[in-house]
Amino acid sequence: MEKRFFWLRSGRVITGLSIIALLVICALFAPWLAPNDPTEQDILNTLVPPVWQTGGDWTFPLGTDGLGRCVLSRIIYGSRIALTVAVFGALGAMILGSVLAHIAGYFGGWVDWVIGRVVEIWLSFPPVILSLILMVGLGAGLQNVILAIIVVDWTRFCRVLRSDVMVVARRDYVAAARLLGFSHWRTVTREILPATLPLLITLMSLEMGVAVVVEAILSFVGMSVGAEVPAWGQMIADARADIYQAPWTLILPILAIFVTVFGFNILGDGLRRTLDTRLTQTERA
Amino acid sequence: MALLDVNRLTVSLTTKTGTLDAVSDLTFSLEPGRTVGLVGESGAGKSMIGRTIAQLLPPGFAVSGGALMFDGEDLVTMAPDRRRALLGRDIAFIPQEPLSALNPVLTIGQQFREHLDHIGKGGAGWKDRAVAEMEAVRLTDPRGLLDRYPHQLSGGMCQRVLIAMAFASRPRLLIADEPTTALDVSVQAQIVRLIAEMQERDGTAVIFITHDLRLAAEICDEVIVLYAGRQAEYGPAEVLFRTPAHPYTRCLELAVPDVAGAPRGLYLLPERMPGLKAIAELTGCRFAGRCPLADARCRAEEPALAEVGAGHVSACWKSFATEAIAPPQAPDRVATGQEKILEAQGLTKSFVTKWRMFRGATLFHALKSADFIVRDAEFVGVVGESGSGKSTLARTLIGLETPTSGALELLGRDITGTDGGTRDWRQAQMQIVFQDPQSALNPRRKVGTIVGQALEVEVPRPAGAEIEARIRQLLSETGLSQEMVARYPSQLSGGQKQRVNIARALCRLPRLLIADEIASGLDVSVQAQLLNLLLRLRAELGFSMLFISHDLAVVRYLCDRVLVMSKGEIVESGATEDVFANPRHPYTRSLLAAVPKGVRQPAMTEAST
Repeated sequence: MEKRFFWLRSGRVITGLSIIALLVICALFAPWLAPNDPTEQDILNTLVPPVWQTGGDWTFPLGTDGLGRCVLSRIIYGSRIALTVAVFGALGAMILGSVLAHIAGYFGGWVDWVIGRVVEIWLSFPPVILSLILMVGLGAGLQNVILAIIVVDWTRFCRVLRSDVMVVARRDYVAAARLLGFSHWRTVTREILPATLPLLITLMSLEMGVAVVVEAILSFVGMSVGAEVPAWGQMIADARADIYQAPWTLILPILAIFVTVFGFNILGDGLRRTLDTRLTQTERA
Repeated sequence: MALLDVNRLTVSLTTKTGTLDAVSDLTFSLEPGRTVGLVGESGAGKSMIGRTIAQLLPPGFAVSGGALMFDGEDLVTMAPDRRRALLGRDIAFIPQEPLSALNPVLTIGQQFREHLDHIGKGGAGWKDRAVAEMEAVRLTDPRGLLDRYPHQLSGGMCQRVLIAMAFASRPRLLIADEPTTALDVSVQAQIVRLIAEMQERDGTAVIFITHDLRLAAEICDEVIVLYAGRQAEYGPAEVLFRTPAHPYTRCLELAVPDVAGAPRGLYLLPERMPGLKAIAELTGCRFAGRCPLADARCRAEEPALAEVGAGHVSACWKSFATEAIAPPQAPDRVATGQEKILEAQGLTKSFVTKWRMFRGATLFHALKSADFIVRDAEFVGVVGESGSGKSTLARTLIGLETPTSGALELLGRDITGTDGGTRDWRQAQMQIVFQDPQSALNPRRKVGTIVGQALEVEVPRPAGAEIEARIRQLLSETGLSQEMVARYPSQLSGGQKQRVNIARALCRLPRLLIADEIASGLDVSVQAQLLNLLLRLRAELGFSMLFISHDLAVVRYLCDRVLVMSKGEIVESGATEDVFANPRHPYTRSLLAAVPKGVRQPAMTEAST
């Protein structure tokens, strides 16, 4: 068992996992953790500063925004949207992208050609514009945000994984498996997938960070979830009006996005370093 | 005074627990114009000397004692500036892998110019100087080569370019680290001759590092045989090869089959050379554990180098008895049956190299109308140089390529079809053993599941206990211990990996094995074990084999019949002994002539005087 969890020994992985664990706790227990209702407006207490500043109040530990809503509660509830989008968006993009990547890299030939051209055409659209167009067409809503992220970002997986699959598929052990009577499905799942899995997990972790950013962009321009649901991008957008009187209302959600993306990226980087055999071969030998 | 004087040089690896010696007390001297060969199996420490001089020792390794005097200066303690000035100019290197030694993104000309700049011969007119150097190594059209990239050249040409670069500075010392291992035999012969010629022109001293004792005996003046980091024997090449004094030298020689002479068995050295850790724990002679002559004294006391003849020393208590080590009997030939296992008629494989609309395709004929038969329990060798179509033949037979035309029958059944039934049947009857065990074994599977892989998909699927039993049986048949089941391929040695590779192919008891260069790249003692394993398995299981190899001596030892391939064609075929004794085709003759036999070639004797 000790060997199975060797990747837990990496400091980067531990850091990333701790940040993400914190987020998950926030998202799951938001109703208990948040001191106030995130959507409740308190017109008497607008732009209250955080507790450590003069005029701060423990009722609103991180202050309130222009409509008198509790910033801390909104950040805690906002993590629900961020995490849902990160998990399902990245998962969907990973499944679509890696299935196509394995098909293209394993079979090669015209299949590879067709998938390669589709990816190229896809990549020629600017990703932000494409996701905005999609949101306009689909309408606001959590499911549609996830769908937009999947549709825009699957190419990333497909491109990177395909080359890895091609390298592995050319190994003699893959040919040997075919010659021992393995079906294509079995060959890919038993012989190729275990070798590409480390890269897949790494990419997945990075993609979660990307998904958080994309969701923030979409909610910033008001094209993500509805205005009644707290989301970090939306908070930034709302705070623009009071940027000089109450900078914290802008800085705090940005910080939340920053820490989240940092957590996913450092986890991805740590996993890449520990799981990628090409990097660890020389050290372990 | 000698140009290079190595005196009790010790290179050690420092670890957390202490220091381990990789090379101990290496002592020899080299005069200008002479060649010394460093011979040994992998792990013997033969590359360490070259790496020490170049200061390219792997991390953790350092010189821990002794001196390395080059023309009166100690290379170990020398200032880095001084060493840099010597390297590439007075001391030149020829590497093992010519293709990876050249930068793939720069042209030959750019790299040559860089080198000429380094040795102070750059500047205006560098092109003419480069061309002159390349003409000296008999490269055709050197001016045109300057604009080419390394991948556009063959391995032999790249090696010539590197030799031209090495000799451009008229070096006083050349270190050639296995310069011909990656090349075909006939190219090897040319390269070796070329080094000797250039050496004579410049009076260069050469350190020739090789695993091939015969090649060393052919081209070197003196040979040092290394075993586990220590000199086992040192003496004039011819004397050492004819009458070796150290048992290891004798065993090494007897472990390799010959291309001529009476058939004999291969001497089997048991186990492996001790690793660095094991050496540190040994008390007596390092070879004692594998030596046929070892007695109590050998295990207790380490012998020092002792003179056994003029300029001939050996580190052995029983040098006088070495002659008594006799080669084992030639293996019994299994009577081959009459049943046709595989029959190919007019088998052709062409690849489309260029395809243009309306003009059709440009074809490359990798295999031109091959006809042959493999009979029951017969080992058929396929020899030829790289590019002769050997591997295409293997891939076409096994079904990784579809033949362009021709008929292929396995046990009388046509197998050119690609329907599922034919494919399954073909896979049960015929299996391949791949060349590179590194690539042929999935690093994420355990040995047990690799060996039993074929049973996973058998319909109906055998019971778990049945698979388990079969895996254990296969492991014991191929001489692997039972605890290997739970190991990963990366934990095995090269020879063990190749055994796993064979065990997997034998899982469903095929009638025919296709073996693609499975004995190359292994140390000679491991190779001998593998060849004898194949012969034993044939006697026990009675399969046939198509054995593809560039090593003629191995084919002669193992195979009943041989097919000689050149440029996609089978140019000669027949019983192995007949073909080797009376080669008819000029290509076969040239192949046989290029094999090192341990005898100085007349041209080379001239070159060294």
